[in-house]
Amino acid sequence: MFDQLIIFISQYYPQFLQGALVSLQVAVCSSTIGFILGTILSFLQTSRSKILKVLVTFYVTIIRGIPMLIQITFMKYVIFQAIYPQASVIYIAICAIGLNSGAYLCEVIRSGIQSVNPGQIEAAKTLGFTKMQIRRYIIFPQAIRAILPALGNELITLVKDSSLASTIGVAELFKNGSNIRNQTYDTFTVYLIMGCLYLIMTTSISFVINKLEKKLNKNYKN
Amino acid sequence: MLEIKNLNKTFGAKQILRDLSVQVPASSIAVFLGQSGIGKSTLLRILNNLETADSGAVILNHETLDLAHIAETHKFGMLFQQFNLFEHLTNRENITLALEKVLNYAPEKANQIAQELLQKYGLGDRAENYPAQLSGGQKQRLAIARTVALKPQVICLDEPTSALDPLLTNFVADAIQDLAHDGFVVLVATHDTALLERLNCQIYLLKQAQVAETANSLDLRAHPEKYPQITAFIKGQHHQ
Repeated sequence: MFDQLIIFISQYYPQFLQGALVSLQVAVCSSTIGFILGTILSFLQTSRSKILKVLVTFYVTIIRGIPMLIQITFMKYVIFQAIYPQASVIYIAICAIGLNSGAYLCEVIRSGIQSVNPGQIEAAKTLGFTKMQIRRYIIFPQAIRAILPALGNELITLVKDSSLASTIGVAELFKNGSNIRNQTYDTFTVYLIMGCLYLIMTTSISFVINKLEKKLNKNYKN
Repeated sequence: MLEIKNLNKTFGAKQILRDLSVQVPASSIAVFLGQSGIGKSTLLRILNNLETADSGAVILNHETLDLAHIAETHKFGMLFQQFNLFEHLTNRENITLALEKVLNYAPEKANQIAQELLQKYGLGDRAENYPAQLSGGQKQRLAIARTVALKPQVICLDEPTSALDPLLTNFVADAIQDLAHDGFVVLVATHDTALLERLNCQIYLLKQAQVAETANSLDLRAHPEKYPQITAFIKGQHHQ
């Protein structure tokens, strides 16, 4: 059986690896969009404007309340169909997953912002920092440190959720694996290899995040 | 010379400061004494733009300051009860950040100032450590260095001994005297009478939103009977 597995891998590894790389690409790009969007939304949500707060809450509620699969298909067959039908499916998937991730990260980053000692913000005000400078140099670096484990979890979730992009034709790991299964009818081996590849990607991310967290926590504490 | 004229502040229905007026010469210390919640900290917070006064004027060296934008003048500095150091920055960076980003100093110049101040306050070998690695007294010295770096004219200290071991009261008193000696107008809000006993200062006892009594510390020590309210407050604190 082990010999069979080796032969199978040697025959199909380019498709598996190609799929895994696309999955990582979707996860990393969409989490980057999600992080930027989440940061902007969280600062809007902690602003004084009631209208902005309501708008952000509305966005977060809608996005978090609807399955990502619906959002991805809606993005391809409704939004992009109307505005740019020729768009590559990978970009559509990254866009949909990124917008979804932004809503989740908004809440995570907001909790990070609120974890920063308000006394430090007062100290920064008395030193003459502007609001933007306080956000950039005082609040944001400390909020990131506080939420790093949650950011790592989000990236891991996105690696797994990238498989949903297969529904609109993105040739990521799950899609490529399914194609190989359709050719070989060897469901067990294909799913075993796919499972292992997802596990390698998620544990690697977890390892890097843990190292980063330890490095950031080494010298100071709240 | 710092002049505070007819300062008023209310929180809801409660009047915290009523027509408060004081004059503090340069190189001298004014201590605002009183029970917790009497308005001592509020006064310092107004002077540092952390609260807004309802009315009144602040005049520094004959220049009337706009209370709404007082922080932008960099003429006032504040030391907080809990120091409020930036925990994610090294001790050096705690000083250089404002110099570089607020006063737009070149990094080399900011580093040089920081290093000189860290040396002055006995933290020369702790420049690359983080605030969490310092003792309470060292944190306070770093907070002083961070404030002094911006060269304000008035330094406000809010309950400077409350987060420290009582054994450090002498050190805090010396640090406050040094600030006055360096030419700053120093305003201290405290109810710590042990600190008061170690300072040469003008004392203002706040009661019912106003200055109830004022005394020079040397005269108070020589003739406590001349200042019945301050003497009673000090005795009351001792008995607590």
